Amino acid sequence: MNQGDGAPAIEIRDLRKVYGDKAAVDGLTLTVPQGCFFGFLGPNGAGKTTTIKMLMGLAPPTSGTIQLLGLPMPERSLEIKQQIGLVPDESMLFDHLTGGEFIEFVGRIYGLDRAMARARADELLDLFELGSMPKKLIAEYSKGMRKRVAMAAALIHRPKLFLMDEPFEGVDAVGARLMKDILLDQVRHGATIFLTSHVLEVVERLCERVGIIHEGKLIAEGLMADMRGTAETLEDAFVRALGMENAAETLDWL
Amino acid sequence: MTCAGAIVWAQWRTLWHSYPRRGVAWSAAPSLIWYGLWAGAAFSFLRVFSNPAEVPVIRIALPGGLLLIFLYWQVVPLMLATTGSSLDLRKLRAYPIPDGQLFSIEVLLRITAGIEMVLVLTGMTIGAMLNPALAKWSLLATLVYVAFNLLIAVGLRDMLGRLLARKRIRELVFFLVILTAALPQLLLARHGMVSPQLRLLVTRDAWEGWPWTATSNLILGNRFWPSLAVLSAWTVGTLVFSRWQFSRTLAFDSDAANTHDSRASRRSWWIEWFYRLPSAAFKDPLGALIEKEFRFLARSPRFRLVFLMGFTFGLVIWLPMAFVPRGPLGGFFVRNYLTVVCVYSLMLMSEVCFWNAFGFDRSAAQFYFLAPVSFRRVMAGKNLTALFFMLLEIAMVTAVCALLRMPLGARRFAEAYSVAAVVMIFLFSAGNLLSIRQARGVDPGNSIRTGAAGRLQAMLFAIYPVTFAPILLAYLARYAFGSQAALFGVLGLDAVVGLIVYRVALDSAVRTADLTRESMIAALSTGDGPIAN
Repeated sequence: MNQGDGAPAIEIRDLRKVYGDKAAVDGLTLTVPQGCFFGFLGPNGAGKTTTIKMLMGLAPPTSGTIQLLGLPMPERSLEIKQQIGLVPDESMLFDHLTGGEFIEFVGRIYGLDRAMARARADELLDLFELGSMPKKLIAEYSKGMRKRVAMAAALIHRPKLFLMDEPFEGVDAVGARLMKDILLDQVRHGATIFLTSHVLEVVERLCERVGIIHEGKLIAEGLMADMRGTAETLEDAFVRALGMENAAETLDWL
Repeated sequence: MTCAGAIVWAQWRTLWHSYPRRGVAWSAAPSLIWYGLWAGAAFSFLRVFSNPAEVPVIRIALPGGLLLIFLYWQVVPLMLATTGSSLDLRKLRAYPIPDGQLFSIEVLLRITAGIEMVLVLTGMTIGAMLNPALAKWSLLATLVYVAFNLLIAVGLRDMLGRLLARKRIRELVFFLVILTAALPQLLLARHGMVSPQLRLLVTRDAWEGWPWTATSNLILGNRFWPSLAVLSAWTVGTLVFSRWQFSRTLAFDSDAANTHDSRASRRSWWIEWFYRLPSAAFKDPLGALIEKEFRFLARSPRFRLVFLMGFTFGLVIWLPMAFVPRGPLGGFFVRNYLTVVCVYSLMLMSEVCFWNAFGFDRSAAQFYFLAPVSFRRVMAGKNLTALFFMLLEIAMVTAVCALLRMPLGARRFAEAYSVAAVVMIFLFSAGNLLSIRQARGVDPGNSIRTGAAGRLQAMLFAIYPVTFAPILLAYLARYAFGSQAALFGVLGLDAVVGLIVYRVALDSAVRTADLTRESMIAALSTGDGPIAN
């Protein structure tokens, strides 16, 4: 089966991931249409990263099915991965490479020839304002720079679907603006973006659809406007969805 | 093999950037010396194998020699808890790289676990091809034997890697591996040079179904087709085994493997009591620092494995020399067995205790610079923790020696513990300096070491002789004066000098840490390339 034009970018059915006697993801069913900017939210330990790791093929699900771009995962994982751009956890970067070398490496892994990978790596470095320090190793990068280089690498093969784990974490305002513009441009050109983020303002501004996961279960999902409802901000809606409006308690001694 | 090319290129760039520009010679020196020695050995094999007059000797020794090559390639890296270079699958699995390509690269990387044996086999093969009395197809036989070794190494490494990634059973698995690996040595010790069991494995009348016997027959020109069939069958079998193990490793989820029921995770009261011991003995913040070290080290798989090896592996490798003393050194081992094993255990433990004291908990290093605690106290906390675990290790060694009914007595106890104490003082002094000057991040969750910093290894080459010089002086004094009192007298003097050295080294380490904290934290925070080495 080839990638269907009308197939959703991401289709998850009854996905479960169990660690010991704890379900990190518990019966998750979710559909993300193609060309959608989707924000996947949840408190710490809710199951966001586990979900994205399963989508990336880094962790096998305990049960359930995943289809990306109309292809089943993990059966067609090679074809799927070829069309995906990843902004993974920053520990997945290679610290002893320079930013340019890492982007070139990723390009070559995705099948670009060496000259093209190098040329695109140089252009991406300039685009992400990392070109002024070509000899700096990723190990010496700040957190924001690491996220920028990861995103640059994710773009090099012009993927149709982006899976991003906290792409804006530690990125300064200028860098975040740049990254947002690039991502919106990708969506305008038909790409699908699935990102997790703690920065609700960013999600509110960028995403047209949002899903909220809590204790492994999807507790809310829909268009941004519907999700916000009567709440002033996405943050209010998020806290309300989790039932934690009055959770803040002060300690006697504090 | 586009992906393979990219991975190799990225690794080359990683290595290039890893070496300090001004310290390349230091980093490369130990490797050059080590492999230079093996290259010399390979040349000697070339000379022997190319000489037609040596063919009768070759006929007798070749099967056993090939078995030793197999054992060195497969077992020695495991016994040293190091397995050469391997793909960092955690980072590569997310990319569209065909499993077949990853497997091929992994097989080739197994060469790094046995470069010494590749050198020896090269020397043997060239020699055999130059020898008119040996078969022309020696090259073919050697290549297939190398492939067999590489494939089985992949399978074993993957299987053990997964087992060692599982909490609770990893120490048990490693213990069994050590015992299995030590079996031939123990058989040799019990039955003399070649026991009946070993004869079936290594001599020229050994079973022809072994891969080393088949390779030997091919090189010697005996029974070409049956030998080739046997060797090929072994190689195909190991190919199937290693592919199976590799695909299981690709699908392995270490997070899932290390979770267990929440009921089972309830900590026993005695473990908590153990962790709280330092706080009972020392006031905070020192007590808190040591307690944190206790908790951290006890939970580190790498530390637990090395601790276990200290009183098992050390005993096992020295045991045959103690049971079957040969020559003057054999007698020395019998008389000083406890001392030798204690010192060996300390050397083993030094890697996880003080050569790189901040390597395991690199995030904590940053906290130490921020916290309102003097760095001297932090170092003291680490040293006291190391001291505790080393004393525990020596106590375990003594207990196991007693169980094995090794000759022990008050004099032997006193000698072993005094030597160990002096060695510890000097090792701590050097360790404090190296922990600051050669800090590097280490994954505490990784049971098997995949490599070591070349520069540190080079320094250890220089440090160990200096550290052991005071001990040597003490034994020379006993030899010269023929008196045990002379030994203890010099050891006492060594201890006083050692304490002064320790004080000076600690001051220097604290000063250096203050001056180089930025580069130290940066060095502790760096990771690896696509190939972990």
